[in-house]
Amino acid sequence: MTVVDLDDLFAEEVIADPYGYFARLRERSPVHWNERFGLWIVSGHAEVVWLLRHHELFSSAVIRTTSGPPYPPVDPEDLPLFDEIRSFRADQLVEQDRPEHLRMRGLVHQYFTPQAIEGWRPFVRAAVADLLDDIQPRGSMDVMTDLAAALPVQIIGEMMGVPREDRGHLREMADQILYINRGEPYRLRPLVEGVRGILEYAEPLARERAERPGDDLISLLAQGERAGVFTHNQVLVNTGLLLFAGHETTMNLICNGLLAFMRHPEQWRRLRLDPAEAARLATEECLRFDPPVKSTQRVATQDVELGGRLIRAGDRIRWIIAAANRDPAVFPDPDRFDIGRQPNPHLSFGAGIHYCLGVALARLEGQEVFRALAERFEAFELTGARLKYQPSVQFRSLESLPVTWSA
Amino acid sequence: MDGRVRIRVDHGLCVGNAMCVALAPGAFAHNADRQSEPLDPYDEAVDTILDAAASCPTGAIRVEDAGTGEWLFPPRGS
Repeated sequence: MTVVDLDDLFAEEVIADPYGYFARLRERSPVHWNERFGLWIVSGHAEVVWLLRHHELFSSAVIRTTSGPPYPPVDPEDLPLFDEIRSFRADQLVEQDRPEHLRMRGLVHQYFTPQAIEGWRPFVRAAVADLLDDIQPRGSMDVMTDLAAALPVQIIGEMMGVPREDRGHLREMADQILYINRGEPYRLRPLVEGVRGILEYAEPLARERAERPGDDLISLLAQGERAGVFTHNQVLVNTGLLLFAGHETTMNLICNGLLAFMRHPEQWRRLRLDPAEAARLATEECLRFDPPVKSTQRVATQDVELGGRLIRAGDRIRWIIAAANRDPAVFPDPDRFDIGRQPNPHLSFGAGIHYCLGVALARLEGQEVFRALAERFEAFELTGARLKYQPSVQFRSLESLPVTWSA
Repeated sequence: MDGRVRIRVDHGLCVGNAMCVALAPGAFAHNADRQSEPLDPYDEAVDTILDAAASCPTGAIRVEDAGTGEWLFPPRGS
């Protein structure tokens, strides 16, 4: 067994297999002080739920309220870029606490309710079918590029009323923005490019929608500025957030889910028995088993005891979805991929007031993709060399997923 | 219907998003676990209660006509 520095969140072994590492940590202590990066790691299911439901004790304004340098360290000459990124992230909905958070979320939530999103199912189903019609005759694909990255941009692009011809450009900016919370020392450069790109891109769109609102999401944000809920910068920043938040996450859901099926062929055969019916619970199990987001942050607003440890006001906290989702106190046989698992109270969408705004859309896209794949393909096989994950503590992202199939 | 409704919250589904409590504070409150608890009696317009039910991101809220038992939310078939 490789010996890993217990606090090295970015070690190659931890990136490759976060589940083994975080399970060992959770067994030692569900609330652990990481000396190396100076933050708490919360890995027990009960502890994460408690933390997320007490938003007044654990602020989401991590970027605004903590002044520490980025971790792991970045190239020193890039440090000036950090302020630009901070000011971008600080205006995002996900960085707000109450009461601002409620005012902002209250404006956009009606667009994302389960009933509202259900109305998009025919559109999503058709978009998946179009992609697969194109892919199927080829005999092989990179699931990441050809399917997982291609689908969400079409859906969210349509919801935001972004012209079709711009979607390639959006993908490029998304790839730059996704350097957030990665480990590469040069990461601030592509990230700041993406931030500048999206602000520049959103500006004329927001102006146009403020004057001639449609029924799209950017119009909703632009009207929020008129109503005094958003500042102009917040309209632009949150346009960027909504464009990309559902992007990386859905990509990872599709790739990580399909990989789980490839490694558990009996579960794939089970899905194929009745894809229309089984896709709903199967998507939940994909979300639990290998979640798109491994962890997220909070900062303590006051001294508070959690899991028998005293967290001090101002301390940074990382709560680990990848650990909580495998907590044996909640999930029997947690390392088993079981697409009929029920109940399945995974924390892949978080909990509490910041519970994923796009949850219904993510579920819809996952269900439609797994259903369509199961209806069309008997089995997938991995091709190429060993799989590599992006060096991110936040996202569980494959670099690529090349496969072939028997039809 | 006589205007009174019965509200149910499924605690297996409620994630404490609290949008219902924010939108209809006369009909929903937090319990000790920070999950939503319907208030009985409630003091809120039925339309506001239905809006709050629709706002739940996990579909944890059901609303029935208290007299007839008819489902008002979610609509039948969904």
